[in-house]
Amino acid sequence: MATADTWQPAPSMPPPRTETGWIGWARANLFGNWLSGLVTVVTVPLILWAVWRMVSWVIGPADWTLIASRPQQFLIGLYPTEYAWRPLTGWLLVSILFGMAAAMWGGAARRIALGYGIITVLLGVLPYGLFHEGVVMPWWVRAFILGNLLTLALGYGLGSNPKTAKPRTFVLGGVGIYVLLLLILIGIPGMEEVAPRKWGGLMLNLILAVSGIFFAFPIGVLLALGRRSNLPVVKVLCVVFIEVFRGVPLITLLFMSQVLVPLALPANFPVDSVTRAAIVITLFSAAYTAENIRGGLQGLHPGQAEAARALGLPGWQVTMLIQLPQAIRNVIPAIVGQFIALFKDTSLVYIVGMLDILEMGRSIVQGNVQFADNARELFIFVAAVFWVFTYTMSFVSRRVERHLGVGQR
Amino acid sequence: MRGRERLIRDIATALALGLIMLLAAACATTAEPAVEESTAKMETETVAAPAVSSRLEAVRDRGRLICASLNDTPGFGYVDESGNSVGFDIDLCRAVAAGVLGDPDAIEIRLITAAERGPVMQSGEVDLLVYVTTWTTSRDASWGNFVQTMFYDGQGFMVPKSLGVTSAYELVGAAVCVNTGTTSELNMADFFRQNNMEYDPKTFEEAQVAFEAYKSGACEVFTSDRSALTALRSSLENPDEHIILPETISEEPLGPLVPHGDEQWFDIVKTIMGILIYAEAYGINSSNVDEIAAGDNVKAKRLLGTEGSFGQEELGLDLIVGQTVIKFMGNYGEIYARNLGPETGIDLSREGSRNALWSNAPCTDCPKGGQIYAAPLR
Amino acid sequence: MRLSLTYQGIPIWRHSRVLSWTAQIVSGILVVAAVAFFISNIASAMDSRDIPFNWTFLNREYSTPISETLLPYEESDTFAYAFLVAATNTLMVSVVGVILATTLGIIVGAVQLSGNWVISKVATVFVEVFRNVPLLVQLFFWYILLLGLPSVQQGGIVLFDAVYLNNNAGLSFPWPEGQQLPGVWLLCVAASIAVGLVARVLLDRRETRTGQPSYPWLGAIGVVFAGAVVAWIVWIVIGNAPFVMSVPHPEGRFGHPEGGYSISIELTALLVGLIIYTSAFIAEIVRGGLQSVSRGQSEASRSLGLGTMQTLRFVTFPQALRVIVPPLISQYLNLTKNSSLALAIGYADLTSVAKTMTQTAPAVTIFLIIMGIYLLYSLTYSLIGNLYNRHIQFTGG
Repeated sequence: MATADTWQPAPSMPPPRTETGWIGWARANLFGNWLSGLVTVVTVPLILWAVWRMVSWVIGPADWTLIASRPQQFLIGLYPTEYAWRPLTGWLLVSILFGMAAAMWGGAARRIALGYGIITVLLGVLPYGLFHEGVVMPWWVRAFILGNLLTLALGYGLGSNPKTAKPRTFVLGGVGIYVLLLLILIGIPGMEEVAPRKWGGLMLNLILAVSGIFFAFPIGVLLALGRRSNLPVVKVLCVVFIEVFRGVPLITLLFMSQVLVPLALPANFPVDSVTRAAIVITLFSAAYTAENIRGGLQGLHPGQAEAARALGLPGWQVTMLIQLPQAIRNVIPAIVGQFIALFKDTSLVYIVGMLDILEMGRSIVQGNVQFADNARELFIFVAAVFWVFTYTMSFVSRRVERHLGVGQR
Repeated sequence: MRGRERLIRDIATALALGLIMLLAAACATTAEPAVEESTAKMETETVAAPAVSSRLEAVRDRGRLICASLNDTPGFGYVDESGNSVGFDIDLCRAVAAGVLGDPDAIEIRLITAAERGPVMQSGEVDLLVYVTTWTTSRDASWGNFVQTMFYDGQGFMVPKSLGVTSAYELVGAAVCVNTGTTSELNMADFFRQNNMEYDPKTFEEAQVAFEAYKSGACEVFTSDRSALTALRSSLENPDEHIILPETISEEPLGPLVPHGDEQWFDIVKTIMGILIYAEAYGINSSNVDEIAAGDNVKAKRLLGTEGSFGQEELGLDLIVGQTVIKFMGNYGEIYARNLGPETGIDLSREGSRNALWSNAPCTDCPKGGQIYAAPLR
Repeated sequence: MRLSLTYQGIPIWRHSRVLSWTAQIVSGILVVAAVAFFISNIASAMDSRDIPFNWTFLNREYSTPISETLLPYEESDTFAYAFLVAATNTLMVSVVGVILATTLGIIVGAVQLSGNWVISKVATVFVEVFRNVPLLVQLFFWYILLLGLPSVQQGGIVLFDAVYLNNNAGLSFPWPEGQQLPGVWLLCVAASIAVGLVARVLLDRRETRTGQPSYPWLGAIGVVFAGAVVAWIVWIVIGNAPFVMSVPHPEGRFGHPEGGYSISIELTALLVGLIIYTSAFIAEIVRGGLQSVSRGQSEASRSLGLGTMQTLRFVTFPQALRVIVPPLISQYLNLTKNSSLALAIGYADLTSVAKTMTQTAPAVTIFLIIMGIYLLYSLTYSLIGNLYNRHIQFTGG
């Protein structure tokens, strides 16, 4: 192509060295102008100092005996030790899901499964509970924990097999495992019953949050549809429900669930306080979910529904097949955000006397002289546990959001 | 226009309908079951007839006893190393479970905060409240029935020795930490108001945070029942640096409560408390039960069910309920020693205090004995 | 007869109006029946278990202390007034929290988008840490940290013999002697608010006309503030009222600072926790809002010669506001509701006082009242938010 009479631009010079590499990066991002440079010079030493102070406290004066000597109570609360195999079995089942997700979706799911596997190995191998007198971690518990690697691999196998690697299998499997888990924990008829009141620790936080979102979602969808409906009675009822549950603090609702609800039900009605707390948490988050979904529905172009109706779809099909799927897709980040909020709110169940991971730790600090000064360590530990879960969830949410291309149309 | 009119009409009709229903419901609740009779009849029948749905039956059907209790006071109710609720109050619950169900482990402990005791008792969901609860007339009227004083207490103040305070009347201008929802909170208010003393109250929902504030020096004074103060003091790093002031500003008879509305259950719990007390008086303990049951002390044998009766059948209890309870739990003195005695590190001394048995006095009518006394078993 | 003709062809049970009516009546009846069932159960349970339910206690003496109040409170005041005091405490926490959390949130959100890598990462870490940990844990943590301050007995922290910081009384600082503010002064303030509003409009017009930045809101606030101060000074001079600053000083056996104004560590921990937690959410909302404004807008504004701050103020932020306001309002609601966690760390907010009240008054009534108050706050915030939202949305579309 190049002939003598075509003009050829001179090859461009490489950028100066001060514009590329780490020097260039630093010039652009740390010393862009005098203000930015000043900020960098001031903040970097401050940050280094703060980080150094924190790290030296964590490995120095901080006393982590409290956490290391009571792993069981932090994980499952006062669940009887002789039945500890039940939650451990449930954990094995959950690992299958992680494995499946890793194989089916790769990417973020694989990274989460990897991190999950590493944490599992650490939990199984680290010598906590051995250094402290009177607390022994039985070998079979470690075996159970390490067994998660096997079920993780099993899940990965299932996820790699095209026969089983279907989203529907995954969802159905998830629901099945959830139900099975609850059955194992309570005790299938024939096994000794362990009342929900004895559940505790991190397990309780997770179960309450998962159950909450599991039931809150369909209720939320119904409420959202009801609020948008043109039937005045239905609409008024939904609005009242949503506004009351959104307008009152959760702890007030929880307290009411213990004070007023037992009076409202017939005597000997078989709903215990834990279930009632779970129901209140579910309704509370259903009200929020409803508002999220309503936002999604409002964001839809009316043309969608009109087109569907023009094609002759009956009203319920327009809603179920055209509007809801799009609306839900648009509000997935908001719903995950709601789930995270719900998980954090499970720390409020101490109001109804349940020993979640935070309250469990506080009971230990209060009842035992040797831990009397370790409240700070406890709060940092609990914060870290919550953070790992919530941060993972928001990480997944961002990935899903990108995958679905929300907001990029 | 027509659309709007229709909307208004619809709303009006719906509202009217709702009002009518509400009115009907209100009538139904005020003027005895007339309208809802058909639906509510079966339930009212089962609830109303005490013989069918007594709490005893309910507990036996359920297979476990539900006790509301506490987890923040060493000695009385806290969580031990292996994750069990233990303490003096928990043992009272276990004693009732042993007596009613024959198994002291057939219990379910509902851990609640102090301020929830009233509402939880009123909800009728728990069978027993064992929560270092002070017997007051208004609580007796609205929470449930107080069964029996199992511990005599009084409110006191704890201060660091370094302040040099020797009397509660010197506490003018002090910051006082207290647990909300307790008689301590109300008595404290009375005390300072009565004596015209300025003070700065800090009230907390949970004793754990309140005590944390005391330890840090944020309040100079911590107030609670003296027993709780002694127990908490023993949990401090240097118990000797703190003193409990000599003034006792209130009367605090502590004991279990049962919900209103079931006299049989009230009597059962009262009887089991009596068994614990009289077993100690008769020298029956967990190791010599069988021996004494076969012995020749008539009163002791009656307690153990090997001679005569003290109303077990009328109450719906086993004849040998005494044996079961004492075998599993020991007598009052054993329960006291196990949770509050010298070996526990709490060491609430019993000798010469109100919590000694009445019979510990040098003679039967001497006023020097303790006040632990119950309705005779016969 | 004509009616039956209209329905010809469609069976009556498939007519949409009949269907919708049936659905409404059935759901209405179901709900009303359920409510009636619950109410009748509650009534009979209260009856059989002697549970008190009445409103007469509101006129009784509360006779229990409330540790820190905005309104003056005596133990001899009534329950009704104690409710008012507690509700004011919650309102104060809510308003202060909302203002500071918004400020901090906007700063952090803007910093996240800053060109400086270090501080934008710091802002991101701030957001990710504080919004992902339960507020309750954070409150306990702040409270334990503040308890670590020296107590009065350990000397406390004293600046110039006027500012005291310790974990007993919290932060005490000089404050004008608490005289009753006269009605005249309030009138003057009202007048200066009116003048301020006029000033805002004038400055706004000037800005539009000349293109010179005139900061209408800043001007308006300045006018109101200046008016208030001048009126106060004039009142002191004319009314011969002595101007007294109350300076805190150690008092009594325990040396707690008396006088001046004190903010307890319980309130501080609550505010710090609420503000940081909420600002992390607000920062994300602000960041999302700013990012939602298309790049072309800011580029165009830059090419018109506006500076960075001007672009942010006149171009990006007003447009971002449309996206920001609705979720912001729900954060304000959350903050108000979350302030009920105060009871865990010993600040006397509405929920905490109500829980204490249940000892000496009917619990059911008390909880109905506080639910009503919280609903009132929520609805007020929603109302203001929605009005403002309508104000800033595109019009005429």
